[in-house]
Amino acid sequence: MNECYGCNTCKSADKPLEEFIAGLPMETSHHRVESQSTKCGFGLQGVCCRLCANGPCRITPKSPRGICGANADTIVVRNLLRAVASGSGCYIHVVENTALNVKNIAQTKGEIKGVDTLKRLASIFGIEETDVHKCAEAVADAVLKDLYKPEYEKMDLTEKMSYGPRYEKWKELGILPGGAKSEVFHGVVKCSTNLNSDPVNMLLDCLKLGISTGIHGLVLTNLLNDVVLGEPEIRTAPVGLRVIDPDYINIMITGHQHSMFTFLQNRLTDDDVKEKAKKAGAKGFKLVGCTCVGQDLQLRGAHYTEIFDGHAGNNYTSEAILATGGIDAVISEFNCTLPGIEPICDELKIKQICIDNVAKKANAELKEFDFENRPAVTDEIIDEIVAAYTARRGNVPMNLMKDHGYGNSLTGVSEVSLKKFLGGNWKPLIDLIVSGDIKGVAGVVGCSNLTAGGHDVLSVDLVKELIAKDIIVLTAGCSSGGIENCGLMEPEAAKLAGPKLRAVCEKLGIPPVLNFGPCLAIGRLEIVATELAEALNIDLPQLPLVLSAAQWLEEQALADGCYGLALGLPLHLGLPPFVTGSPVAVQVLTEDMKKLTGGQVIINADAKESADILEKIIEEKRQGLNI
Amino acid sequence: MKYVIIGAGVAGVEAAKTIRQKDNTGEILMISKDTDVHSRCMLHKFIAGERDEQGLDFTEKDFFENYRIDWKKGVQVTAVCPDEKEIALDNGEKISYDKLLLAGGADSFIPPVGELRKASNVYGLRNLSDAQAIVKEADLAENVLIIGSGLVGLDAAYGLLERGKKITIVEMVDRILPVQLDKYAANAYQALFEKAGVRFVLGRKASEAVCEADGKIHKVTLDNGEEIPCDLLIVAAGVRSSIACLEGSGIECDRGVTVDNCLKTSKADIYAAGDITGLSGIWPNAANQGKIAGANMCGGTEEYNDTYAIKNTINFFGLVTLCVGRILEEEGDQIQIKEDKSQYKRVIVKDGKVQGILLQGDISHAGTWQYLIKNKIDISSIQKNIFDINYADFYQVAENGEYQWMS
Amino acid sequence: MHMKRIVIDYQKCDGCKSCSIACMQAHRETQGTVYDLDLTDPHNESRNRILKDADGQYKPLFCRHCDDPKCVESCMSGALHKDPKSGHVFYDETRCGSCFMCVMNCPYGVLKPDTVSKTKVIKCDFCVNAGGEPSCVASCPKQAIYVEEV
Repeated sequence: MNECYGCNTCKSADKPLEEFIAGLPMETSHHRVESQSTKCGFGLQGVCCRLCANGPCRITPKSPRGICGANADTIVVRNLLRAVASGSGCYIHVVENTALNVKNIAQTKGEIKGVDTLKRLASIFGIEETDVHKCAEAVADAVLKDLYKPEYEKMDLTEKMSYGPRYEKWKELGILPGGAKSEVFHGVVKCSTNLNSDPVNMLLDCLKLGISTGIHGLVLTNLLNDVVLGEPEIRTAPVGLRVIDPDYINIMITGHQHSMFTFLQNRLTDDDVKEKAKKAGAKGFKLVGCTCVGQDLQLRGAHYTEIFDGHAGNNYTSEAILATGGIDAVISEFNCTLPGIEPICDELKIKQICIDNVAKKANAELKEFDFENRPAVTDEIIDEIVAAYTARRGNVPMNLMKDHGYGNSLTGVSEVSLKKFLGGNWKPLIDLIVSGDIKGVAGVVGCSNLTAGGHDVLSVDLVKELIAKDIIVLTAGCSSGGIENCGLMEPEAAKLAGPKLRAVCEKLGIPPVLNFGPCLAIGRLEIVATELAEALNIDLPQLPLVLSAAQWLEEQALADGCYGLALGLPLHLGLPPFVTGSPVAVQVLTEDMKKLTGGQVIINADAKESADILEKIIEEKRQGLNI
Repeated sequence: MKYVIIGAGVAGVEAAKTIRQKDNTGEILMISKDTDVHSRCMLHKFIAGERDEQGLDFTEKDFFENYRIDWKKGVQVTAVCPDEKEIALDNGEKISYDKLLLAGGADSFIPPVGELRKASNVYGLRNLSDAQAIVKEADLAENVLIIGSGLVGLDAAYGLLERGKKITIVEMVDRILPVQLDKYAANAYQALFEKAGVRFVLGRKASEAVCEADGKIHKVTLDNGEEIPCDLLIVAAGVRSSIACLEGSGIECDRGVTVDNCLKTSKADIYAAGDITGLSGIWPNAANQGKIAGANMCGGTEEYNDTYAIKNTINFFGLVTLCVGRILEEEGDQIQIKEDKSQYKRVIVKDGKVQGILLQGDISHAGTWQYLIKNKIDISSIQKNIFDINYADFYQVAENGEYQWMS
Repeated sequence: MHMKRIVIDYQKCDGCKSCSIACMQAHRETQGTVYDLDLTDPHNESRNRILKDADGQYKPLFCRHCDDPKCVESCMSGALHKDPKSGHVFYDETRCGSCFMCVMNCPYGVLKPDTVSKTKVIKCDFCVNAGGEPSCVASCPKQAIYVEEV
């Protein structure tokens, strides 16, 4: 017998990674898939209810209602609303911290790197203020004010940030959100025990939460971060486990709140801090990107070339990144920080530090981000990391994978940088779509999970199918991390595209898959969609554009998905979100939604079939536009 | 009707049980040289001192009473006379029968090397009497030499380790358990035995062994000239069917007693089951043969079909291994290996059929492998990792609620 | 021979594993209720399990207490025997020689060595100590398993 922890690991789209994980001496999530493979059918269908002491109640032919009388529709949609409210809460937490950070920076006259974005926001918000700091503070305040409104008061920025025809549709459906935090509260109340039992009423709440999540949680978080952290610039960067350079003190970052890292990020390149690293025997410090915050850093990497080499991998690559032994510390501030990294950190003496208590890991030290005391706290964190480096290097095995990943993945794509790349307007893209050189656009977003075929398997296979059909793919979220580690964001990947898309890519020197970065950037994709619709003077559902959260994982993804549906976009999911036990939920999500918002949910776990379905939808939309 | 059964091993016992179920009034007589019914597969536990004689008994409580079976123990059959329908015992008694079952098993084979057959401190490990003698001799011995590293040889070593003996095992082949395991899996056991203090001499044969004045062999010379001191020798070099008493009976024998599909011998009303037939050397097959022979002695016409015998389980030092089918690689084989820190799995597939399986460390739920192998089930259409194939892929429930294999 | 057998209607199985938890609870070595059953303690192994075929269909695997039990036939210690009265196959761990020939010989792969000590066999006892009403059957929300006289 050898040293492998277990030989039954799940598949991965990234074959070298799959092999690496199968050979590890420690357990990872990939090892646990097999023993969790018998899933409870009640859970899968969403028909297990344990909201009260009578439960758990489960729906069967002989017991079509729970003890309280709730039927499958009520139980399923209550569970879904809970998940969406929770997911929305996560993004609203992120935007709240982001806005607070902008406000703090503005008040302390800190650096405003994205003046263009600030001007753009100020203009949308109707703020007339020429001093950048005062302007930034006003912008942040406008966002915060919205977040803190009561549920019965509509948010001010919804209309300002949304596309006219959409706003009218939402108004008509009565789903304009009140204060974003209050909407989460409202949703949680609504799905508690023996309150709402009307599945359609609760599904409309899901859409409402989708809108507040999308506009505030996603779109505004990106733009607020651009204001203080810098705007994305298109460039290429290395990706994969190769980015780990053992000569440095390496800090893996996980989470979604890039703004929490900036101070540390800047300190790590200060001479006095670099001296600490050198004294400990390292060349300096490096941040190693993991999960969405790593994507965020990569996206804005043009501003951080000294401290950040590249993105190592997504959520379910995090254990492998740690198992290389090259990481000295993990700083986490949010999900997707898997609980499974903890035993690995313990074994490899990797220091775990959490800087936001919502994501406090059991074995991590909590060092909450505190704007006022950030110099002191940051230096404490740095000292602990240096101590960890000194204690562990030489004492724990290194298992690096220096040739993993790719060297020239295209990154830095945003609604602004892409438009700039195209010459300052969307016309070139629209022309290519009209001519059919690009058949349509697919946003392949969301996470990776290990159950839709394996790690990144469905996402990557779907992307390959889509580009082969001349459909250009835009990505955001952990899907980006998986897809880039499989080489699809290298310009050379153009040869995997259909002949027309390939020609376009080769002409422009770009890959057929454009990486917008973290899941927050789903908001950027949706700005692109809106601007395209605007340019064509049509509503969003008419666009030959589809979304796929092929490997959605978390509640946040469901809240994102609700935004997509509210925007009227077709949304593909690889696995159903625990709703198939409810005929009403299935009917509304997959069929009636087309009439409500223009959107629809498509559930299919097969890459080829899914691509065929999405292609058909794109073709129908093209016909609708007579192109 | 008078049923006589020679041998009180599992074949004899199963035959007796079956006969009693089918014939409530017939007379059943078992005759054995063994004085205790015992499981040969647990003799190492007796040597180790873990179990006493009673602890080796595999029959249910009050077996002979409950099944109304007479038992003559400690006697040996000296002749079988089919024409007279009687047998002769070493105490001079003659016993008549209507139906006779030969289930006398087999004896250890001591190869004609040097004076191994003559010495008083050389034993096989086959019967409880062997184990009892070994335990006695071991009290006087310090160095033990075991010839053969098959299951019996290792059983003996395992038992004697408990008694604190210095043990050397000589094996002709270059690895231990050569019949059952591949080199990799065998090495795992070798390491465990070595850790416990056993010394292995592999790829060597005993070439010389001379009795000294006390009638014992005190050293064995190997084919490379190495001399191994010993006070006790255990020879685990296989067995031979116990057919000596059949000489002159006219019952057809080859290596064992020749039987047809119904386990009938060449002589009327005489059946044979278990190791004496030479059909297989493993417990479940002997039990099955006993049942079939018993049923046929009562007028049945059951056939012995489940003849597959290339199967074993091994459990030493808590390391469990299961091996079924072919272990050695042949041309055209696809071999798949999966291995981690708690298990080693190796499967041989040829033409879509599993030829052999080796599981070490974890043998949970492995019973289906035997079925797949012995029935040559084509698995090529099952879209699963081969090691994940299980009964779910063949699942069928019969009318009486039992599972079935699709025929 | 008439006996009670747990009959399986696999198409009804939803894979909820209630049967496995009920089995663990019925065979736990400590006192307590299902609320405090340690689901992570390998001493509390379930005798049944839910398999999946290549199409994802659940296939519950329960000891059949076969009419001609191959496990009993292979048992060289007498630890396994088929009770002539009930027809059930019982296991006496005090007699078991830990050879695991029964594991190899069960054609359906029901049996396994115990995880903790690898000296015992994990085997359904039809909840004989709980009055012979199998706990798994009582726990199934879909009636995918039920006891029938066969």
